[in-house]
Amino acid sequence: MIKKIAFVVDKMPYKSESSRLTLTHAIASQTVEIHLDDGDNVEPVLAFIGEGVLNCLKNQKASEVYGVTTLESHIKNALLTDIKLLICEEDVKKYGLTEDQIIMDAEDIGADITSELVPFSEIMSAMELADHIVYS
Amino acid sequence: MAKIGVFLSQHRNSNDTLDRLSKGSFDVVLVQNGVYCAAIKENGQSSPVLGRGTKVYAMSEDLVSRGIEPSQVASNVTVVNFDGLVDLIFNEFTKTIWL
Repeated sequence: MIKKIAFVVDKMPYKSESSRLTLTHAIASQTVEIHLDDGDNVEPVLAFIGEGVLNCLKNQKASEVYGVTTLESHIKNALLTDIKLLICEEDVKKYGLTEDQIIMDAEDIGADITSELVPFSEIMSAMELADHIVYS
Repeated sequence: MAKIGVFLSQHRNSNDTLDRLSKGSFDVVLVQNGVYCAAIKENGQSSPVLGRGTKVYAMSEDLVSRGIEPSQVASNVTVVNFDGLVDLIFNEFTKTIWL
């Protein structure tokens, strides 16, 4: 059986560990198959909404300043592990951001898939279709 | 007159205490997630925090950590680094509060 899990991030990065933990769980879900019975698996979708879209800004330098991995690197790792990654286009627009400021791909580390800027309605549909939602 | 240094560490468009402080008695220092107030225009509007007629500082380390270059902040915001902030605290502020 395939279980769909929607990981939804609506918190800013760094002030708390919330968005980092959600990303970590999303990435971990891609390797959980080894612990499941044959035929069972998890199908994750990762979505950024509200203030959470600020996690998706490019050129984060937190590793130099804070000595922690950047949310940018976690998002790129999510793309590298083929997690469907949705970013709310209304919220990107609300915060005056443009696509070129947002992490849309992770080609530099070899990811094949890209982020998708989508209307909130599409993220809502993903949450409705999911068997479980991890919302933070 | 020496001022109060008011540290904002959250990205909020309003703060009850900030709203009631006497104009001219304080400067604002944007740190941590507060630095988004310096650069992000929500619905096309700069943060009201920047429009109070007070001097506003933003921490460069917190900006670049979040993918915001100092050149992207509003023109009325002064970007300072850790050393600059220490100078501010010792030279400009008699007291600090953290909102």
